[in-house]
Amino acid sequence: MDWDWQFTFDVVLPRLLPVVPITIQATVLSFLLALALGLGLMLLRTSSSRLVSIPAGEVIEFIRGTPLLVQLFFLFFLLPEVGIVLPPLTTGILGLGIYNSALCAEVFRAGILAVPAGQWEAAKALNLSAYRTYRDIIIPQSLPPIVPALGNYLIGIFKETPLLSFLAVAELMHASKLIGSEYYRFTEAVTIAGAFFLIMSLVAAGLVRLAEFYVRKRILH
Amino acid sequence: MTEPKIKFDQVTKRYGPLTVLDALSLDIAPGELVTIIGPSGSGKTTVLRVLMTLETIEEGTIYIDGEPFNMMRSGDRLVPASKAHIRRIRAKIGMVFQSFNLFPHMTALGNCIEAPIHSLGLAKRDAVKRAEELLDMVGLADKRDHYPSQLSGGQQQRVAIARTLAMQPEILLFDEPTSALDPEMVGEVLQVIRQLAAAHSYTMLLVTHQMGFAREVSDRVCFFDGGKFLEEGPPQELLGAPKNERAKQFLSKVLEAT
Repeated sequence: MDWDWQFTFDVVLPRLLPVVPITIQATVLSFLLALALGLGLMLLRTSSSRLVSIPAGEVIEFIRGTPLLVQLFFLFFLLPEVGIVLPPLTTGILGLGIYNSALCAEVFRAGILAVPAGQWEAAKALNLSAYRTYRDIIIPQSLPPIVPALGNYLIGIFKETPLLSFLAVAELMHASKLIGSEYYRFTEAVTIAGAFFLIMSLVAAGLVRLAEFYVRKRILH
Repeated sequence: MTEPKIKFDQVTKRYGPLTVLDALSLDIAPGELVTIIGPSGSGKTTVLRVLMTLETIEEGTIYIDGEPFNMMRSGDRLVPASKAHIRRIRAKIGMVFQSFNLFPHMTALGNCIEAPIHSLGLAKRDAVKRAEELLDMVGLADKRDHYPSQLSGGQQQRVAIARTLAMQPEILLFDEPTSALDPEMVGEVLQVIRQLAAAHSYTMLLVTHQMGFAREVSDRVCFFDGGKFLEEGPPQELLGAPKNERAKQFLSKVLEAT
């Protein structure tokens, strides 16, 4: 195996660097979608009506129980069949977001269940509305255990973005595969893509630690 | 006779096969302080919990100021109460818990202004002013910016009392307010409750094991066991010379221990 620095600087970096923002964009948007959908799924899952909570639980199990790649293909090839044609990146974000929302819903649920019953009772005795109870009392207290777990999913999503190369989304992995097949050299492109992922993972992990620290300071003192 | 502030009419509460409140009836007059005593695990706390709507009841009606609470009038029939109806009447009731249940992520002041602002709709300035007065009343003006974890148990319970009073309730429920406290902190909490009792501006229901305190502040003491009030009367009578056999046994054991 030989390493060509000339090739690295002249071809690989100029073509990979511009795609980094696409990977970051896919990660961040998927994560935000996963959080929003996850919160909704959790609320349905914990509904007092079994007519709502049981189907919600089934949906979560279904999403968690099938491979992400299958779900991505499903969205990519089957949505157009029913007349919904989305750009590959949008489809990818949708797929990653939905898959991770099921995981986030369970994290939210565990965090909410960890809040002592006495907190709900105090909120009720103080006649707070359901909205205020969640917003000011329950959700803030559920954050310390939730944030590290959500951070893991953020990094997980980030590392799942190469799957979008199967949908021909021009993210890092896809771009490095293209370079490889164009020049019959994979060494530099794949290595640099891996290095980019490593660097961004480390930065993301650092940000998650920071968020954990901030939440613990604000909530636990 | 004036209308009772609180009226339990044949209230029944079951947990599966276990009947915790068995067709319980009770009238409490405005400004009256009624203490409920009884064996641990007998469910006397449940009397307070159903009144605070922390538990639902299977049968019977609870009235506040003559108005049905768990039910509401619809024409001349009673139907299960709507959420809005329960919320409106619940605003008259405040509860102090055995384990304080302060919000740990808010300061003492934050605990006392959260509900007045968001539930009563007070302006923040007014809520803060009132909360400061109440914290001063319970002797904790200097702790307003402390978090619950930085306060002793007795201080936490006094903040919890201030938080409850900040909602301007007419009825105060105390659920074993000193049971979770170290002995040296019981006095400071009882002193605050004594102050509230002396003012006679609240109708109060107290569940406690502090017999001496019950005798001192209560207008009436009820002995609760097996889902019913087995005996009730003025504190001197009931605590001094109970007639009911179970009450006698219970009191002799409790007084022996203290």
